[in-house]
Amino acid sequence: MAYPYTHEKEVRILSSGWGDPRSRTLEGWRALGGYKGLVKGFEMGRDEVIETVKQSGLRGRGGAGFPTGMKWSFMPKEKNGLHYLCCNADEAEPGTFKDRELIRWTPHQVIEGCLIAAYAIQADHVYIYCRGEFFEANQVLARAVEEAYEAGIAGEDIQGSGVSIDLTVHQGAGAYICGEETALMESLEGRRGLPRIKPPFPAAVGVFGQPTTINNVETLCAIPHIIRHGGEWYRQWGTEKSPGTKLFCVSGHVCRPGNYELPMGFPMNDLIHEVCGGIRDGRQLKAVIPGGASVPIMDAEECDGCELCYEGVIERGSMLGCASVIVMDDTTNIVRQVRRMVDFFAHESCGQCTPCREGTTWLSRILRRIEEGKGTEQDLDTLLDLGEKMTGTTICVLSDSAAAPVASSIQKFKEDYLALIRRGEAVGAV
Amino acid sequence: MSESGVEAQTGEIPFRNPGWAGNTGEFDLTEAQVRGSDYVGVTPADGGHPCAASAHPYLLPDKDPSAPLFEGPYEKRLKKILSRYPDLRAALIPVLNLAHELRGHISEETMGEVGEVLGLSYAYVRGVVSFYTMYNKRPVGRFLIQVCTNISCNLCGGEDVLSAFLEQIGTQLGETSEDGLFTVMEVECLAACGFPTAVQINSLYFENVSSADVPGVLARLRAEAE
Repeated sequence: MAYPYTHEKEVRILSSGWGDPRSRTLEGWRALGGYKGLVKGFEMGRDEVIETVKQSGLRGRGGAGFPTGMKWSFMPKEKNGLHYLCCNADEAEPGTFKDRELIRWTPHQVIEGCLIAAYAIQADHVYIYCRGEFFEANQVLARAVEEAYEAGIAGEDIQGSGVSIDLTVHQGAGAYICGEETALMESLEGRRGLPRIKPPFPAAVGVFGQPTTINNVETLCAIPHIIRHGGEWYRQWGTEKSPGTKLFCVSGHVCRPGNYELPMGFPMNDLIHEVCGGIRDGRQLKAVIPGGASVPIMDAEECDGCELCYEGVIERGSMLGCASVIVMDDTTNIVRQVRRMVDFFAHESCGQCTPCREGTTWLSRILRRIEEGKGTEQDLDTLLDLGEKMTGTTICVLSDSAAAPVASSIQKFKEDYLALIRRGEAVGAV
Repeated sequence: MSESGVEAQTGEIPFRNPGWAGNTGEFDLTEAQVRGSDYVGVTPADGGHPCAASAHPYLLPDKDPSAPLFEGPYEKRLKKILSRYPDLRAALIPVLNLAHELRGHISEETMGEVGEVLGLSYAYVRGVVSFYTMYNKRPVGRFLIQVCTNISCNLCGGEDVLSAFLEQIGTQLGETSEDGLFTVMEVECLAACGFPTAVQINSLYFENVSSADVPGVLARLRAEAE
């Protein structure tokens, strides 16, 4: 079930135990079919597990959408030292709130996914890098990992299989950039979270200098189901290029915000107007950010007919990201909300690369000037120019992400900017 | 977990439940059920199983800036943390979290002590502490109230909630109230965007907080402090 609201069009696979406290426990997770995937995976063998995940077409749910099976196959087959798996639970993309739900309602689902993935890539140790702020959810997860150890599902010689995998719950300390996989590894090593230049890629040189795979919580949660039921089974939902179900995090001006698990390719119109009960107070849709603060903003016209899958959103000039759908009605002051997002990126820039460190701060300052009615039309050109120079010029994509909502909002909501610049009037109060 | 929960308010807005998002009409859950506190139980100070030794709240109401860091059960926890990483440096963030839990902030002295235990220089530890926003660099009140004003909460009144906390406590952003109870800060996205406005108070999330809910939340905290 989704949480905190449900809808009949949902396909509940990852979210089947949400909202039911019983599904937290080992016993409860087993009652939902839990750990059957793990047993089956061990029986199949590593190669077949990876092959099944490849067949399923599962794509990374952390935002980039990279095929998971392919990522796993980059890990060396011949072991030379330890292998690591990092579960990326550093959820912090504005608009995204699915991983905390997966952790707090179904911690054993996360653990089972980690164990199968670790088995497939021959990882000796799994670090679940949890967002520091999630203490409550992290403690639920920690308790579940303890239960797994007590039951012989984690640790030495798991259930007599000869496979040994350790799990550690690791808490971060508040840094958005640590959700970027190379920054996550730096942070795990006890350093400032500065993204690394690639190559070398993590599968060659990852955390502690060893081969490493980093997967998002939601990606790993899909694994037990795929192993249990098969790759073809998973493909019964979604599109050819985006198979399976996805947790859609809907926030902003809808009547029933929350998480909904739906097949990939679900129409955005139906998501907003049917599943989420429409725009609150009967207002009109103005804009949507379909994939969290890092992706280009869409206007109402672009949303109409948009299919929510990786390729469907790209067709409309934006990206699905982690399917964090932020809905804005016609009371929204776009300039103000874009400025707020840019403030965020300025705060979270790690400061390594000049275009990002300087660029995010200047974007924020210029936007604030416009918001206060002191901007000029030339400022818009400056913003676009800055955005261009911030794109593709840095180690990681935080810089590109900061520029995306600015450029796209100037392009699509220019009247909002001009109203502030020419008349000092904001379009929309929120 | 406090038992002094504010009664869930019902009314024309179907989704108002400051504290947790557990009774929307479709779900009828208690606060403990949503938070999972019954399942977690009491987390032992010595860290419990080593796999979980790094997962503790980093901020508690009772703070002692001069508490010994690595004595008694905390020494045990330190050893368990160290056992999970291939080198001492990697334990830095979990060990800083432990220090933060006991002392409520990371002072220069704390940075030195932590560095000494892990064989890291003060300058290195300071570099790491300054990078991560969750480390308070100076003491805070008994309750650290962090209000999200990022986009999803902002669309639903996050800034009004922040103002309501500041006005009703009578303090400025980042300052501690005279009675030592409250410090209010603005925070970046807490990843609870479907439950606006999200507020973190010490280690607990409060969800669906509107400015009208602020007096109730403050009353609950004051009752807990007594």
